[in-house]
Amino acid sequence: MTNDASAALLETVQQYVAGANPFVIVGGGSKSFLGCRPAVSEPPAVVSVAEHHGVINYEPTELVMTARSGTPLSTVISTLHEHGQQLPFDPPQLPNATLGGTVACGLSGPTRPYAGSVRDHALGVRIISGKGEDCSFGGEVMKNVAGYDVSRVQVGAFGTLGVLLDISLKVLPLPESTVTLMFEQAAHDTVPMVQLARQYLPVTGAVLIGEQRFIRLAGSEAGVKAAAAQLGGESVNDDGPWTGVRDLSHAFFDDIRPTWRFSVPDYASTLELPNDDDGTPAATLYDWGGAQRWVKTNASAEVCFAAAAGAKGHATRFSEAPAGAPTHQPINGVSARLQSELRASFDPHRLCNRGRFHPELDS
Amino acid sequence: MVADAKTALSRADKRALYSSELSALVPKGQVLHTDEDLRPYESDGLTVFKRAPLSVVLPATIEEVQAVMRWASSRQVPVVARGAGTGLSGGALPHEDGILLGLAKFNKILELNAEHGYARVQPGVTNLAISNVARPHGLYYAPDPSSQIACTIGGNVAENSGGVHCLKYGLTVHNVLSIDVVTVDGELLTIGAMGCDDAGYDLMALLTGSEGMLAVTVEVTVKLLPVPPVAKLVMAAFNSVSAAGDAVGSVIAEGIIPAGLELMDSPAIVAAEDFAGCGYPTDAAAVLLCELDGTEAEVNAQIGRVSDVFNRCHATALHIAETEDERLLLWKGRKSAFPAVGRISPDYYCIDGTIPRRELSTVLSRMDELSKEFGLRIANVFHAGDGNLHPLILYDASVDGETERTERLGSEILQLCVKVGGTVTGEHGVGVEKINEMCVQFDTDTLNQFHAVKAAFDPAGLLNPGKAIPTLQRCAEFGAMHVHNGQCSHPELERF
Ligand SMILES: Cc1cc2nc3c(=O)[nH]c(=O)nc-3n(C[C@H](O)[C@H](O)[C@H](O)COP(=O)(O)OP(=O)(O)OC[C@H]3O[C@@H](n4cnc5c(N)ncnc54)[C@H](O)[C@@H]3O)c2cc1C
Repeated sequence: MTNDASAALLETVQQYVAGANPFVIVGGGSKSFLGCRPAVSEPPAVVSVAEHHGVINYEPTELVMTARSGTPLSTVISTLHEHGQQLPFDPPQLPNATLGGTVACGLSGPTRPYAGSVRDHALGVRIISGKGEDCSFGGEVMKNVAGYDVSRVQVGAFGTLGVLLDISLKVLPLPESTVTLMFEQAAHDTVPMVQLARQYLPVTGAVLIGEQRFIRLAGSEAGVKAAAAQLGGESVNDDGPWTGVRDLSHAFFDDIRPTWRFSVPDYASTLELPNDDDGTPAATLYDWGGAQRWVKTNASAEVCFAAAAGAKGHATRFSEAPAGAPTHQPINGVSARLQSELRASFDPHRLCNRGRFHPELDS
Repeated sequence: MVADAKTALSRADKRALYSSELSALVPKGQVLHTDEDLRPYESDGLTVFKRAPLSVVLPATIEEVQAVMRWASSRQVPVVARGAGTGLSGGALPHEDGILLGLAKFNKILELNAEHGYARVQPGVTNLAISNVARPHGLYYAPDPSSQIACTIGGNVAENSGGVHCLKYGLTVHNVLSIDVVTVDGELLTIGAMGCDDAGYDLMALLTGSEGMLAVTVEVTVKLLPVPPVAKLVMAAFNSVSAAGDAVGSVIAEGIIPAGLELMDSPAIVAAEDFAGCGYPTDAAAVLLCELDGTEAEVNAQIGRVSDVFNRCHATALHIAETEDERLLLWKGRKSAFPAVGRISPDYYCIDGTIPRRELSTVLSRMDELSKEFGLRIANVFHAGDGNLHPLILYDASVDGETERTERLGSEILQLCVKVGGTVTGEHGVGVEKINEMCVQFDTDTLNQFHAVKAAFDPAGLLNPGKAIPTLQRCAEFGAMHVHNGQCSHPELERF
């Protein structure tokens, strides 16, 4: 059930490196809709990590799991559940998602502001760099400051700093009890959710969808009960909107317009986005207590980036983009120079996922 | 020849030249160069290493930091940043041909935003000062290193410092939103974001813990958390360290993540009790301090379960702090373990490795053997929840050879940590201290990649040169001294 394909992967990457041949890295392909698609599309060389799979080390009382990048995310999660544990960042569980893709895309679910992100739980990685070198950073212990924290930098780098082979993550116990509260006719702003974050309560989710605000509480049974009594609202019988919001499968996402993700301070006011040409306003779903906003709009990428910058945040397109169109908030100035140098330090010829993430760093 | 003019300058000439050039960049009195003025900057908290810089510059504004960095870049002068100098790995040890950039004048809290839960501060502000201003608003800054009354937030970012509560609330990297930094060539930029993440690569994570090697931090925005309404501390005594270690695993297996979970062995208990008079059972082989915090309902539910676990794990005594004063007193004993040990021995040397917790017994018994072999006593305080060991080696620097013997014992312990799957440093950083042991932990390709990351930010290697990441040549030399399993490390390199 497990397979170590690292030697074969290393050989493949080294061949591409020797030939200066760019390649795309694929896990389960569940997030192929994310990121830029280069304008010229000859079929690219592919490095598939799907055959490199399996849990390598998991000892529940150490709160650490190490698994190969091609391990299905569902396997990781079910293994943890068997031992009463979980991935604290509750990542989207898209069909065929792998652990490697989840880490490379840096995707965290509704728990993120309260329990931390993928990068917050990354402890160690083994990668093949764009130089064809097999490197291991960090480790399997929770506190480790030996060397630069390359493991966390790999999170959300979209594979442009190398091919992820093995990944160690901090894991946590599942909560004893969970309750979802619903508040009808909620004001269309994030103020109540921001205020909630300043109180010591076992909150693990806060979303605003239309006129309904949902708050999730999780933790010890007594603690959750007391917090629910304090907050009021109506307790929801099913498990609420969380799975749909996490997996982008909620009815909100049925709107056929492109989906954009805005990452802004939770207290940022309503995003300044124009109506579509036919007068339809942009639709917004507030996740992460207001810090992650899912927006349906036909506005151009440039308009979305400007709106995000105006709110001191950044925007990412979450629907397949036209070839050549930007999908990630462009980086400029000194930061672009440093990030481009950082990319080059791992992958001097920009072979790994060239043009997929921030094309401005690839030239 | 012109090219040689710089190297031909004597140390005294260089010192005079640099001081006069630096004096043009910052106001009067902010450049120090006399032997007497430089002395306090010769070492950080790891005093076995001492070195005078050519001069110390104490800028007070970001523009001054930028001007100094532009000057250093054009003159190719090494720069070592310094916060409070409490670091324990020689990270702020000056460079003999360089300048020390002291950030002590950056000591203002610029903004406290209680409504949005953050504080924007200058890098020289102490860790505790942030929590002190936040507390009236019911908020605090979570990472709490034992040195928190003195260490600076800039130093915390550089070391990714932790504290006794980081098991539940995370390290510096989990609690900083953004920083402003000045690059080696004097450019200013903001890293991180006020939201949950930023576009592009996670430079915030990369800069945290980078030991002043990538940029100079000139402003820090930290996250403030609500103060838990209730905190309760359980103290449990055990008649062996391994029984206490097993109890830690059992608490976690119970699905409970305490706010803090600390272990002390007998020598540490005795020293701390003697120092703080906090009521530790001095006849115990090991003591666990387990803090539970949260809402009243949560804490009440958990305290009973934790007590049950400790009883099941054969605790010989169990005590729940009855008052807030008693809780703080029990923590005081733990937090002053270092100075306490300092009283029972002329000198002590603090080691900082992390191990997988299951290896605790193995590591402690091997340490016991090493202690006998080297003829040096060891006291142990241990962030048990996250596996971070702090063996304190007791020695007397005035006895010939004892310092060297201590350093060798420390090195053996760190290598032992690596061997059982751990790391040479959990929170104090590599600095100059653990640079050799880095060769044991990382292979050549990985070390090369670290150097490449450094070069991306600082191509000429002017920021804190010689720290944190060993050169391959150094590893070859160290490998020649330490042969592991009959094979020397980095065999591909020529021996020197
Ligand atoms: C008694 C005692 C107890 C301690 N307990 C703990 C503990 O519980 N947990 C823990 O993690 N540590 C602990 N430490 C270690 C130390 O306090 C921390 O490493 C602390 O973060 C250092 O802060 P500092 O301001 O003193 O930094 P310094 O010692 O001045 O510098 C440390 C490093 O940071 C760099 N640096 C400092 N400021 C900047 C800046 N603005 N920009 C760029 N680089 C900078 C320096 O170049 C150096 O490499 C303890 C130390 C002592 C003496």
